[in-house]
Amino acid sequence: MADLSINFAGIKSPNPFWLASAPPTNSGYQVQRAFEAGWGGAVWKTLGEPILNISSRFAGTHFNGQRVAGFNNTELITDRPLEVNLKEIYETKKRFPNNPIIASLMVEPEQEKWHEIVKRVEAVGVDGFELNFGCPHGMAERGMGAASGQVPELVEKQTMWAKEAAESPVIVKLTPNITDITATAYAAVQGGADAISMINTINSLAGVDLDTWNTIPHVAGKGAHGGYCGPAVKPIALNMVAECARNSTINVPISGIGGISDWRDAVEFMLMGAGGLQVCTAAMHHGFSIVEDMVEGLNNYLDDKGLASVGDLVGKSVPKYSDWGDLDLNYKSVARINTDTCINCNKCHIACEDTAHQCIDMLKAKDGTKYLQVNEDDCVGCNLCSIVCPVDGAIDMIEIPSDEPMTWKEREAAIKEPSCGISLVK
Amino acid sequence: MERPMSHHKEFLLEKEKIDNLYNKGYRITAVNETLSGAFVEFSRVIEKKILEKEELQFLNPDTRIYFSTLIRAEQKAE
Repeated sequence: MADLSINFAGIKSPNPFWLASAPPTNSGYQVQRAFEAGWGGAVWKTLGEPILNISSRFAGTHFNGQRVAGFNNTELITDRPLEVNLKEIYETKKRFPNNPIIASLMVEPEQEKWHEIVKRVEAVGVDGFELNFGCPHGMAERGMGAASGQVPELVEKQTMWAKEAAESPVIVKLTPNITDITATAYAAVQGGADAISMINTINSLAGVDLDTWNTIPHVAGKGAHGGYCGPAVKPIALNMVAECARNSTINVPISGIGGISDWRDAVEFMLMGAGGLQVCTAAMHHGFSIVEDMVEGLNNYLDDKGLASVGDLVGKSVPKYSDWGDLDLNYKSVARINTDTCINCNKCHIACEDTAHQCIDMLKAKDGTKYLQVNEDDCVGCNLCSIVCPVDGAIDMIEIPSDEPMTWKEREAAIKEPSCGISLVK
Repeated sequence: MERPMSHHKEFLLEKEKIDNLYNKGYRITAVNETLSGAFVEFSRVIEKKILEKEELQFLNPDTRIYFSTLIRAEQKAE
C-alpha cells in the first residue's frame, strides 16, 4: 500500500482528492458525507456576500450516448449567510480534524473586505483559503471572480491583501478565460500566494433548443453564459497546469482541477505538476462514492510502478513538455495496419484520403480479399487513422529510426549562416 | 481528379539534386525561404574561394528538413 497522503503548501491531507468549491461543498451535511466516503479534503463553496440565484442552473452536454461529456452551470457562490457556513465549517472540522477544509472566498477588490472575511473565516479553524478569481458568471458582472482574475494587477493586489490577514496558506484559483494563464499565475506568486489552483470554469453556452429556440439552460426564455467543466475541459486544464508547472517563475504548488473523472486523470495531472487535485463534475455525475475507485486505482498504480508515495509522481512529466520549436523535426513515426485485427471498415482510408495525406490504399490480394495498407513513405505520422479506427490494436504507430535530432529553433539558427561564417571570396 | 504527386517521390527527386551537388563538392552557402519555397544557394568552394554557384528551388517540406540537417551536421563538424 503506497502512501497517498500529501502536504500541499503546508496543508496535510490523507489523500490528494479534494472536492472543489462548487455545489457538492455547499453545506456541512454534504462535506461530512464526502469525508465519510473517503474524500481527502474539501474546498468549501465560495463564501462572500450572500447572493440570489436563478432557477434552472445546470446543463449537461452529451455526446454520442456519453452522458455529461461536459457540464455547464450558472450557479453563483453560496447563497447562505456567512454565520451559517462558519458554524457548519466549525462542526465539520471538529468531526473530521484530519481532513482539510479550505474556504473559498470572494469579495469586492477592496483591502478591508479581504481582511474582514479572512479573519472571520480563519477564526473557525479552516486549514487554508482559496481565493476565487475564476467564477465567470454573475459575480464577474460585479467586478469579482473572473473579472478580477483576468487582470494580473488585481490578482496580485488581492492576493497580497488576503495574505496580510491570513495565517493559513492561501491558494489562488485562476480563470482559464484568459490567453496566457501564466501571466495571472505569476501575479498570484508576486502577491505572495502559497499555491495556485486551476482551472475554474470556461465561458460556455451548452446549446440551443431546436424546437423552442431557447438557450440551454434558459431562465424564462433567456440565457446567459455559464461556466463549462467536466471531462471535455480536461485537455485545456492539463495544458494550463503544465504551462505553469514548467515555468520557473511560478514556483508554488499547483492544485489541478478540470475534468478529473478517475484515477488515470489524477495520475496525469500529478505527472504534469499538480501536487493536489480537486474534483467536482465526476462527483456530481456519480456521487461521492466514486472517490473509492479513485483512491484504489491510484494506490494500485503506485504499487505497480513500485512507488512508495503519491508525491513521487508529482512533476515527473513536466520536463517532457516543451515549446513546439523545441521538438525534433527529424523524428518520424508511421502508421502500420495489422491485417489480422483490421475489420476492413475503411474508416482509416476515408479519413486519410479525404482529410489527411492520401497514403492508405485499399488493395486486393491474389485470392480477391481486400486489405488496407499504409504507404509508409508518404505517411507523415499524423495519427488520424489510429484515432478514427474503431478496433484497438488494428493500427500501430511505429517509430522509424531517423537522422540526428534537429529542432525548429536549431534549424533557424543553422540556416541563418549556412557556411558557418567562413568568409567566402569570389 | 488524380491524387497530388507523391510527397515522398517529390522529396526523393529534390534530395537527389542536393546529393548530386554535394558529391561534386558543392556546399550550401545561403538559404532564402519565401512563399514560393526555399531558394538554396550551393557553392563549390576550394580554399575558401567560390569556383561555381548554383541556386535551386525546393518545394518539399522534407527537403527543407533534409538540407537543414546537412547544414547543421557540417556546422557541428567544423
